[in-house]
Amino acid sequence: MARRPRKIRRRRLLWGSALGLLILFITGSAIYIYYVDRSVTLQFQGRRWTLPAQVYAAPLELYVGAPLSMTDLLAELARLQYRPAAKLDRPGSYHREDERIDIALRAARFADEMRPAQMLTVVAGARSIEALRDASGHDIPVLRLDPLLIGSIFPTHGEDRIVVTPADVPALLPAALKAVEDRKFDSHHGVDPEAVIRALWVDLRSHQIAQGGSTLTQQLVKSYFLDSRQTMGRKLHEALMAMALEAHFSKSDLMNAYINEIYLGQDGDRAVHGFGLASQFYFGKPLGELDLAELSLLVALVRGPSYYDPRHHPERALARRDLVLKLMADLKVVSPEDAASAARRPLGVTTRAAGAYYPSYLDFVRRTLRRDYPDTDLTQEGLKIFTSLEPRAQDEAEQTLDRELARLERSRAATTASLDGAVVLTAPASGDVIAIVGGRRIGYSGFNRALDAARPMGSVVKPFVYLTALETHRYTPASIVQDAPVDIRMSNGTHWRPLNFTRQIYGPVPLVRALAESMNLATVAVGMDVGVTHVAQTLQRFGLERAPAQVPSLLLGAVNATPLEVAQLYTGLANGGYRMPLRAVRSVLSASGAPLKAFPLQLTPIADPEVVFEVDEMLQQVIERGTGRAARSVLPRDVVVVGKSGTTQDLRDSWFAGFSGSHLAVVWVGYDDNRPTGFTGAAAALAIWSRVLADLGTSSWSAAMPESLNEVSIDYFTGLQIEGTCANSDTIRIGVPPSTQLAKKPGCIAAAAPSAAGRLVERLRAIIHQ
Amino acid sequence: MTLRIAILLMVVLVAACRSLLSPERPPSAPAEATTPAAPPSAAPPAAAPPPTPTAPARQYRLGSAASALVVQAHARTAAGDYPAATATLERALRIEPENPLVWIELGRVQLAAGNAAQGDSMGHKALGLATGDPNAQSAAWRLIADSLIARGRNQEASSASAHADALIPH
Repeated sequence: MARRPRKIRRRRLLWGSALGLLILFITGSAIYIYYVDRSVTLQFQGRRWTLPAQVYAAPLELYVGAPLSMTDLLAELARLQYRPAAKLDRPGSYHREDERIDIALRAARFADEMRPAQMLTVVAGARSIEALRDASGHDIPVLRLDPLLIGSIFPTHGEDRIVVTPADVPALLPAALKAVEDRKFDSHHGVDPEAVIRALWVDLRSHQIAQGGSTLTQQLVKSYFLDSRQTMGRKLHEALMAMALEAHFSKSDLMNAYINEIYLGQDGDRAVHGFGLASQFYFGKPLGELDLAELSLLVALVRGPSYYDPRHHPERALARRDLVLKLMADLKVVSPEDAASAARRPLGVTTRAAGAYYPSYLDFVRRTLRRDYPDTDLTQEGLKIFTSLEPRAQDEAEQTLDRELARLERSRAATTASLDGAVVLTAPASGDVIAIVGGRRIGYSGFNRALDAARPMGSVVKPFVYLTALETHRYTPASIVQDAPVDIRMSNGTHWRPLNFTRQIYGPVPLVRALAESMNLATVAVGMDVGVTHVAQTLQRFGLERAPAQVPSLLLGAVNATPLEVAQLYTGLANGGYRMPLRAVRSVLSASGAPLKAFPLQLTPIADPEVVFEVDEMLQQVIERGTGRAARSVLPRDVVVVGKSGTTQDLRDSWFAGFSGSHLAVVWVGYDDNRPTGFTGAAAALAIWSRVLADLGTSSWSAAMPESLNEVSIDYFTGLQIEGTCANSDTIRIGVPPSTQLAKKPGCIAAAAPSAAGRLVERLRAIIHQ
Repeated sequence: MTLRIAILLMVVLVAACRSLLSPERPPSAPAEATTPAAPPSAAPPAAAPPPTPTAPARQYRLGSAASALVVQAHARTAAGDYPAATATLERALRIEPENPLVWIELGRVQLAAGNAAQGDSMGHKALGLATGDPNAQSAAWRLIADSLIARGRNQEASSASAHADALIPH
């Protein structure tokens, strides 16, 4: 009997604790729900996607006379993903008929203005643009095509995205997403119990937690708030959060967030988020321009961007896309006919991912900007960065480097394809860096040789030795210098006895020939005479940042420089003696389009224009008669270019640096491990250099001779002044200071002073007699 | 033969005023030399100067693209938006990098924006390109003079003005 009350007590205790637990559970759940609700709402309300800076190439300028053929124009439109169309219904399309092309331009943002969408007609000949008209047939003097988006600056392991507003989104996309992912999106409260049960059933049968059953809202929650691990507890948490979101935000808000948030692809370290970026990443064009087939592919990717990756698994992607189309037709989102015709379309993805195009160039952009902006600004603030990159030049340089290196390797039957190189291309008049190739593996963001391979300059340093000599006014390009054995006793007691590359000794030669044929002994003689210190100072004046070691071997290029630095040094030579900082970035705009920073062109006088002109004319002889002769067989006959080869000890580095009227190019070829290449500068780098310039249709170097110089004719080999009847194929004309006294070649019958008129008469006589 | 002599005579007349040709240039150069920086067919070539001893050997003009951009830059300068004016002139410069008139415009904007040292440098750069064109040379000297005045270097400025006046009286 005594047991019963104990039993009752025990039962009461049990009930009591159960009740307590229940109360605790309810209170706990209430607090938990309240907490989830608060935190989700607050976080989501204040949501701001981190927006990586977007980087744009230089827009292509169109004007009558612009050196662009129809082929060039079509290639640029293809890069911008304009589509050919019979009827120009929407921006982003064009229609071509023979020499005439009508283009429905997209709206575009430039550094200095917005351009609305508009119609444009271009007539392009074989070599240049012949007419440019607007929709009403009026001539347009000048107009830019859209700047190509070339990438973005995203955090190291971070998300990249382009945020779109509902106005940018085609109505078909939300409809398709609902049809495929969440049919009850418009009516549910964040979770779809029916779908959950269905999914659970599938999960139980397959003994694993598969995807599915999640509403769009749940997917959004998972992507926005949680990591991707799937556990039951997490699923519950996710469902609660989804319901909280639904309670506080409109369906259209959630749909827009989903479209911007969801993960749709991977590109190395870069995670592609949102349909805005995915559209650029897979198709290279804005979301608003996608057709049914393209949109369906993006919707197909939601389920598994790597499994259905259209670039790696096209057959899976195609099957899934067609399933999406079928679902859309079944739910009457589109007509069965439209779905069927879209299903016949190919995937249509671009071959290379936008943004992975030009990693070497983007690397330079990033380094430039890091001087002015903290990383967080670059990766989060949605800055718009306008650069000088010319995609056509960049493509040309990349392809030429790879092709020529392969050819060189074949010529040496090299066993491994590891010969590498770098190209820097600039527009010398503006200091714009228009292309950077950091190595042979295009699209690979590894070691950037153009920026980081600091190698001995070799003979590409020589123009600065001669420039220093001319600045003393004790030398002219016609001065006779001695190419004779050199023996310099160094401070440590050793002797430095350099040799000419050819092992020959040339004796007395004019300065111009010593430079053109890259004579080491003559160069050392000149350099020692004017002083190594002064040569070092010249290099620094022209933009070499590190102070070079002031040793005699500096005169033969014992100073390390990267291809970019060599380009900077040669910019002063290409610019008549003005230094101009090389620029990759022209301007930076805020996310809203407000100008933040511009990098305008800046000139600093660093050398007399006369002296620079004399050096340039000597460098012209490098191409005409010296170590750069091979360029003549690649470049058109009438195109004047100037430049200098460089080869370092044991043929480890092959350089060529030089310029035309419109381009400056520096090419380096070598091995990363510094093995000898077996190639001189003239053999390897020059081949690439001249091919790049030729393919770009470069224009002549045509600097006007300063009025303070006199033009004289001399014999290239002896430096003797040539008059009248003695002129032959060894005669060259160069500018020298008027006070220059030249030894005359004996036995010439002096004609009248070689006036301009006289020369013209001679030339015309020659033409008439031809 | 008569034809040849006639051609030779004509050529001598034209050339007598000043060299059109730099002998190192390719044969296609002479046509460019009269309108040095205009892109091919961008604008009708500047009327050939009459072959009188006083006519300038060159007269730089802006092609239609560059001149449209210069007009736009003027409007932007007038509105005080120097960065935009600079950006517009840099577009013109990319089209005609060797035209001293573009450099002079760019230097004028720099000067207006308070960057007189750049105005000075761009004036000199233009001067180097303007060889043979007294109008352009004079305009370059005037830019240099104004830039020097802005930097308080009045004595050098008056010498630069004198150069400008000697070429083309103000």
